[in-house]
Amino acid sequence: MLDVRDDAAIAVSGLHRRFGRVTALDGISFSVGRGEVVGLLGHNGAGKTTTIRVLNGLFAPHEGEVRVLGLDPATDGARIRARSGVLTETPSLDERLTARENLAFFARLYALEPARARTRVAELLERFELTDRARDKVSGFSRGMKQRLALARALLHDPELLFLDEPTAALDPVAARDVHDLIRGFAGEDDRTVMISTHNLVEAQRLCDRVLILRQGQLVAEGTPQELARRLGRSARVEFELDPDQRQRAIDLLATTGHVGQAAGDDVVAADGVSREDLPRLVALLAAQGVALYRVSPAEPTLEDVYFALYGAHEPQPAVDSQDAAEAQP
Amino acid sequence: MNWRSIGGVVRRDLAVVARSRPAVLPIIMLPLIFFVLLPVLTSWAIPAGAAELDELLPLINAMPQSIREQLGDGPIEGIILRYLFEFQFVSLFLIVPLMVAAVIAADSLAGEKERKTIEALLYTPTTDLELYLAKLLGPWLAAIGVATFGYVLFVVAANVTAPAVVTRPIAVNSLWIVTLVWLNPAVAALALGTLVMVSARVRGFMEAYQLGATIVLPVVLLMIAQFSGLLFLDAGLAVVIGAVTWIVALGILRLGYRWFRRERLLLTS
Repeated sequence: MLDVRDDAAIAVSGLHRRFGRVTALDGISFSVGRGEVVGLLGHNGAGKTTTIRVLNGLFAPHEGEVRVLGLDPATDGARIRARSGVLTETPSLDERLTARENLAFFARLYALEPARARTRVAELLERFELTDRARDKVSGFSRGMKQRLALARALLHDPELLFLDEPTAALDPVAARDVHDLIRGFAGEDDRTVMISTHNLVEAQRLCDRVLILRQGQLVAEGTPQELARRLGRSARVEFELDPDQRQRAIDLLATTGHVGQAAGDDVVAADGVSREDLPRLVALLAAQGVALYRVSPAEPTLEDVYFALYGAHEPQPAVDSQDAAEAQP
Repeated sequence: MNWRSIGGVVRRDLAVVARSRPAVLPIIMLPLIFFVLLPVLTSWAIPAGAAELDELLPLINAMPQSIREQLGDGPIEGIILRYLFEFQFVSLFLIVPLMVAAVIAADSLAGEKERKTIEALLYTPTTDLELYLAKLLGPWLAAIGVATFGYVLFVVAANVTAPAVVTRPIAVNSLWIVTLVWLNPAVAALALGTLVMVSARVRGFMEAYQLGATIVLPVVLLMIAQFSGLLFLDAGLAVVIGAVTWIVALGILRLGYRWFRRERLLLTS
């Protein structure tokens, strides 16, 4: 039986989903609290989009239990979708319609009263700086404009839960920063929850309270970016500031411990892959061998370090997401 | 059932079709050719070829008495013209609701997959049944609307251009009424059912339209049977053909609903 916390916006236990012979989700379990911003990370085909589709009742799970806002997506999909907003990976806008017509159409599907719909559409067009282009057909929009319009559509009905699939993929840095501010602002209002599926690790580190890392349909890591970095801290980089004359000696000493040191300036030697536990030992060794250390700077591992520690930098991308699986079906 | 959502999807689908040249062209051209050009040309051609119309006497003599009585007496060109306008053209004109329904349904079902707009629609609270009904209602209503409007044009064109030998209003009879209220809606539903099944297997508008257009074959057979004198279509037979068409169409549409599930729509788009 799924243990659902009172404050859980999403609770998933042992979720399996297959497409033909391909397993897209392989028994994943996680929960997301109300008001959290959670990142869903993984290569293409890791199961991110399938997860979002299952949570919204578009795909039925084959095994496991799922609750979204306290409801079962398999039986209450429509009620969940009425309370959630989704920014799809492609903008999914009707290019023959104008920006306003696109939003007005979806406002109707989200059951906004006509007067409220008009106000809300105008508000969102203004908020996403599309008012001047409201009467233009979407076919003439840039990718960034389409992305903004799609984001406006996801927010039309003021959802409690927002799913964003690559929200800033098509945006320039300024627009991306605006979207980041918007997501932060959205999450800060009334305990609203955001799940971001992204390849952009900097974005995930900046926005997410917690990340879930999927690999071939399995949840391989879960936690705050800082927690994961500590847990997988073996890839940290440490810089030693020392006397320039002792630089080569320090590099040689580091080599005896299995670490590769390299010059990072006249008086700096940097070593990658130094874990938290290794650091005191290395400092003691260098000091004992007469290397005068003026500064030791361990860099906090980034989410990128964690991601590649889990995935391996050159691992080929598996094809197990629903889209790929559809092709693979007999 | 959320009829407001259904109405929204219907309106959106029709607005989108109205802005697509490949879809709009056949919707405009077919009625113009069938309902205006054809009666005008026929009204001119029949009297012009009056000398050769005697060859059609065996066809007229083979007609059921009920049809023969409706055609009345008078010059042969008047009888032939009346037969064409009031009986023969009915099967020909069935192509219009059929093709209009097929074009719009191809755009609304397969076209939506091709344009990648289906996913956002599937993330709305609209249920599978509501979406399915909306996707059927738009093309169906449009097909009936175009066919009915076309019929009005046809009646005007036929009566304005009919030669003097036709002494009373033509193309207004019980067969046409049955066709408008019973046969046209059934034929449009059959086209929709076919397009639902075709759209499940293709990814684009043109492919769906071309495959779906094969549904015109039964109507062509009906036309040939009429022209050759194998079958004389009257109101009674139209009621029967309509009933059979409805049964087949509803059966296909019911099967189509089994296919029309969010999961399947996503996996085939």
